[in-house]
Amino acid sequence: MAVRPVDISRAIRSEELEEYVMLTTVEKALAWGQSNSIWPAGFGLACCAIEMMVLPSPRYDIARFGSEVFRSSPRQADLMIVSGRVAHKMAPALRQVYDQMLLPKWVMAMGACSSSGGMFANYAILQGVDKIVPVDVHIPGCPPRPEAVIDGLRLVQRKIRAGVAPAYELEKSKA
Amino acid sequence: MSTGIDHDVDRPQAPVVPLGTPCQIPPGAPSNVVPPPGEDLITVNFGPNHPSTHGVLRLIVTLDGEVVVGLDADIGYVHTGFEKNFEQKTYWKGIPYAPRMDYLGFFANELAYVGAVEQLIGLQVPPRAQWLRTLFAELNRIHSHLIYLGTSGIELGAMSLFFYCTRERDSVLDLFEMVTGVRMHDRYPQFGGVAEDLPKGFYAECKRFCREMPKHIDSYLDLTAENPIWKGRLQGIGTIPAETAIAMGLTGPNLRASGVPYDLRRNDPYLAYDQLDFDVVSAAEGDCYARYLCRTREMYESVRIIEQCLEGMPQGPVMADDRKYVLPPRAELQTSMESLIHHFKLVTEGFRTPAGQVYCAVESPRGEFGCYLVADGSPKPWRVHFRAPSFVSLEATAMCSVNRYIADMIAVVGSLDGVMGEADR
Amino acid sequence: MTANQLARAISSHVRGAVVSHSKGIDMPTVVVRSDKLLDVCRYLRDEQGKNFLSAVSAVDFLGYGENVSGYFGTERGRDLNATGTWGSPATVEAPAKRFCVTYHLAHVDADGAPPDRVRLQVFADDGEPVPSVVEIWPTADWHEREQYDLMGIVFSGHPNLKRLIMPSDWDGHPLRKDYPIGGEPVQFTDAE
Repeated sequence: MAVRPVDISRAIRSEELEEYVMLTTVEKALAWGQSNSIWPAGFGLACCAIEMMVLPSPRYDIARFGSEVFRSSPRQADLMIVSGRVAHKMAPALRQVYDQMLLPKWVMAMGACSSSGGMFANYAILQGVDKIVPVDVHIPGCPPRPEAVIDGLRLVQRKIRAGVAPAYELEKSKA
Repeated sequence: MSTGIDHDVDRPQAPVVPLGTPCQIPPGAPSNVVPPPGEDLITVNFGPNHPSTHGVLRLIVTLDGEVVVGLDADIGYVHTGFEKNFEQKTYWKGIPYAPRMDYLGFFANELAYVGAVEQLIGLQVPPRAQWLRTLFAELNRIHSHLIYLGTSGIELGAMSLFFYCTRERDSVLDLFEMVTGVRMHDRYPQFGGVAEDLPKGFYAECKRFCREMPKHIDSYLDLTAENPIWKGRLQGIGTIPAETAIAMGLTGPNLRASGVPYDLRRNDPYLAYDQLDFDVVSAAEGDCYARYLCRTREMYESVRIIEQCLEGMPQGPVMADDRKYVLPPRAELQTSMESLIHHFKLVTEGFRTPAGQVYCAVESPRGEFGCYLVADGSPKPWRVHFRAPSFVSLEATAMCSVNRYIADMIAVVGSLDGVMGEADR
Repeated sequence: MTANQLARAISSHVRGAVVSHSKGIDMPTVVVRSDKLLDVCRYLRDEQGKNFLSAVSAVDFLGYGENVSGYFGTERGRDLNATGTWGSPATVEAPAKRFCVTYHLAHVDADGAPPDRVRLQVFADDGEPVPSVVEIWPTADWHEREQYDLMGIVFSGHPNLKRLIMPSDWDGHPLRKDYPIGGEPVQFTDAE
């Protein structure tokens, strides 16, 4: 809905109000705000963490999508990017960090190892982080390029703006 | 030299300990310092998810105020079972596993594994492939040191260094991508040579990189080397004398910063290093600052080596001609029945090696990365054990951090430059 | 120094220590008895200048040689009932004891000398302790803990022998040959 700047030389009639003021619902405004300020909690585990780490770098600049800071504390983060292979020893720590995040929260499984165990089908690696946390977006790649991670982030943004509930509401069993 | 900052009295400048001074590691497990009994001690858990540790390292630290009195490192949070996976795959299919251990110095991992198998089967690599491997090994070294510098900066609070270093890192990865198609974890070293030859335009791009990189390294040194805060955080911290370093198994920049200029590229040359002219960078103090200087100055030497590789690269094939071990070029598969059969057998069954054992060590950006391979004559390895330099350097964390402030412990862990992927394997 | 010379030098200083020696593909390899291991290691470090221990690796030889069968017409013959045992011109025999602990030693100094690598091996049965070399090369601390964790080899005299890599309550030793690869069962045939 295009809005026009106000012409102060005359009064605005009420039927013209919509041309000067953006009207939306609270949900949409909230979603617009949430989607454009997703602060990742980088859960950097292995190789994918290196590609995730360069997201704030000059070339990929995730800050232009609103993810200005990677919060170290899960209490301040919205999106947990699980980047790397999750060992069974690490799984309780990952779940603990996920539990410490405040609602609403989203999880991005970055790379093949966190999506499904990747090339490591063995005793040591959790075969997909979606076994212990509900995942919103999976990004394929080993490791995915930073552009692919940005694509995944934009997918989360589109999900939020479309009003799709975060994964923990859709998968009650893992919430 | 006065830094203008009030140094605490129990943080003296590290005296240089001459090589030959006997190693003074107290008896007991060197990597686990048990705290003395006391009532006011707090045990704090660092990690495994912590922004200041390189990957998932858990340090159980006992503190007396801000001074570390006990430290135990708990690793294994990214244990991936690499060695067991290698035993399940044929040799060729194991190559993609190798770079994912030390994910910063990935090329060195591949070189060690591929080198071990080539030694086992006695496969000769053509000279051009040796020089290509050397070139990319040095590019990888620059990549790893850039990330080390950038993350070191973040840990000490110098965030801008990270952005400069990742900008250069992307230039390095552009070169990798131009040749291999992927940024990291290329499967470029193959048994018998390398996967592909250089494309058109690589020479110009790489030359441009070599021209500009030294200026960037100059700017990093300008930013940090004489910076009073940087020096105050790193000088005199985490000093490891030479004999202790050798006894603790340290290699690479960690050892060279302690006054032992031991570099596998010089002492035990492999690939094309014996034909190249470069200096082994070392320092004498053995503290975090010395390690930082060694790594940063090593980047200059790596650029020198890359320039020499570009100029002196011999012409010729990039793969050995032995079709029993090396896949035929794909174009041949359409015309030659023997090539098709070789390709089929190599991909499905794999090649058989003689039974035996080899240990192949390369100078990774972290130190000596070794691959110990035991073969039983079948197409799959019997046992592959990797000697990871980060595994060994983390053992030294405890002795460097004890009786120091907790902030110094962060600096020490960063300066030992450990990558948990290879420490846990 | 060749393997012969090394074995003779070790034997002359530590009687009865050397079980066998070989030239090896890449470095001299000497197998010693585990009860003489500490004396041999001290000799190598002090007299032979091997001040650097690269790695301690353990190998499990359970089932060694069963994956390889001979060619048709040879004495061992091709095993038609065991597919996937590839016909090979040379078959191998499993060693008498199940585990082998390998020490890769080198000489490191500031003078540019080559590392002069040497491989030292001891064989041990399941449950048989191997003396710990932590007091000789302190770097062996974590190497031995890792091999204890993943292979179950007990290093006697180690000051802190507990699990390092696997969670402390893990059952079993994953790198042993009788420990399954693990992972999830999937419907399609297993990855090769």
